[in-house]
Amino acid sequence: MHPMNERTLRALLLIAAFAAPLPAAAQAASPPNTNNQVVVPEVDRRGIKVPTFPSNDFEIGVFGGTYSTQNFGTNAVGGVKLGYHITEDFFVEGVYAISKVDDELFRQILPGGIFPTRKPKLTYYNVSFGYNVLPGEVFVGRRWARPSALYLIAGVGSTKIDTQRRPTLNFGFGYRVFLADWAALQVDVRDHVFSLDLLGKRTSTQNLELTGGLSLFF
Amino acid sequence: MRQALRLALGVALTALLVAAPARAQDGAPKLPATLEQLTIADAFIELRTGPGRGFPVFFVAPRGARIGIELRHTDWYRVRTEEGKVGWVTREQLEATLTAAGAARTFRDVLLDDYLSRRVQLGAGYGRFKSEPMLKLWTSVRLSETLSVEGTVGQVQGVFSGTDFWHLNLIAEPWADRRFSPFFGIGVGKFTNFPNASLIGASTTDAKLANAGIGVRYYLSERFVLRADYSLYTAFVGDAKTTEYRAFTAGVSFFF
Repeated sequence: MHPMNERTLRALLLIAAFAAPLPAAAQAASPPNTNNQVVVPEVDRRGIKVPTFPSNDFEIGVFGGTYSTQNFGTNAVGGVKLGYHITEDFFVEGVYAISKVDDELFRQILPGGIFPTRKPKLTYYNVSFGYNVLPGEVFVGRRWARPSALYLIAGVGSTKIDTQRRPTLNFGFGYRVFLADWAALQVDVRDHVFSLDLLGKRTSTQNLELTGGLSLFF
Repeated sequence: MRQALRLALGVALTALLVAAPARAQDGAPKLPATLEQLTIADAFIELRTGPGRGFPVFFVAPRGARIGIELRHTDWYRVRTEEGKVGWVTREQLEATLTAAGAARTFRDVLLDDYLSRRVQLGAGYGRFKSEPMLKLWTSVRLSETLSVEGTVGQVQGVFSGTDFWHLNLIAEPWADRRFSPFFGIGVGKFTNFPNASLIGASTTDAKLANAGIGVRYYLSERFVLRADYSLYTAFVGDAKTTEYRAFTAGVSFFF
C-alpha cells in the first residue's frame, strides 16, 4: 500500500472511530425513549358552536271590548298586554288598559254628580297567571287545523278611576286560537273585583269585561 | 395480465355503481345549514302536529336520522327531518340526541347549560303586613351563584288606608345549589300610604323604608319555585320617628 494512502485511510478510520459513538452519545443524552409513540396525535380543536334556538315564548298583544262597571255604566275598553308562556300549561301576562266611567245615573239625583268631569278615565293594570285547562285543536273546513286552548286566569293589579286607585283582583277565562306559530286570536271574559267608597259606604264591586284581541309571539 | 385488468375494471365499475345511490342521496333535499342539527340516538322520536301532548303523532324519525331545530315554544321544539317533515317534539325526547359535537356534548348538556344560564325570576306572593292583607310581585336577577338583586312592588289593603310600596333588595342564598334553601336579604325602598277616600282631611304619607328578611325557597320543578319569607320593615316617617312592621308572605315564582 502506498504510504500516503495508508495515512489517509488511518485518518479516516480515526475520524470514523471518533464519530461513530457521537449519535449514540446524543441518544444517551436524551431520556430513554422506549415506548415511542407510533401515531403522534395532531390535536385539532373543533370550534364547538353552542347551539341557540329561536324561541317564541313571549307574546305581545292588543285587545278591545267592553268594560262594565258596577255603578258607572258600560264603556269601550282597549289595552295592551305582554305575556310569557312558561310551560305548555302555564303562562303569565301583564295588562294595561284604558276605559271610561260615566256617572250619568247619579247626576239625575245628585246635580253635581260624583266625579268632577262627566266621563272620567278608568285605567287598570294587572299581572295574571293563566292555566290552559282545555288545550286542543280547532278545525276549519277539511284542511285547516290549528292549536287552541281554553284557559283559566286570575291575577292582581290596580284600577284607577279619576284620581282614586284601588287594588284589584281579577279572574276569568278565555279562549285562544293560534293562526300561525307566531300569531293568535283570543277572547277573554274577566271579572275585576275592587272596593269603592261610594257616598261614604265601602262596597266591593264586580266589574265585568269582555274583550277580543290579537297576539304576536316572539 | 388481462385477467388483472378485467378485475380492476370490475372493481371500478362496482365502486361506481355503489357510489351512484350515495350521490343521488346528496342531491336529495337536505337540512338548511342555518338550522341547529341533531342526530337521533334513541330508538326513535315522535313528531306531533302541534306543540302539546295531545296532538297526534304523524311521523316517527328513527335512530341515526338527522333533524334540524327550527323553533322552540315552551318545552316543545319544531323540528325538520331530512325528508322535509316538520313537526313538534317534546324536550324529553330530544335530550338523548347528539349535537354536531357528537357524544362529547349531547343535547341534554345544551339544555342543562341553558337552564343554568337562566338568571331572571318573576314571582308573586300573598301574606300579612301587620295583620292586613298584602300582595307583592317581585323580580330577581341572579348576579352570581349565591347573590341576587331583587325588586319588589306591593300593596297592603287596610281598613282605613292602603299602602303601595317598592323596594330593592340584595339577596344572599348560601346554599343555592340545594333544592330547599334558605336566603337572607336587606334592602331599601319607599312606601306611600293613602287613606280610603271617605276619610275627610286625611292626606297621603310618603316615607322611605328599609327592610331585612329571611326566607326559604323550594325548587318545585325545573321552572317553578315556592317561597316563604318573613321581613321586618322600618319606615322613616319623620326625621326622628320610625315605625316598624312585620310581614310574612308566601308565593310562587318561575324562571324565564
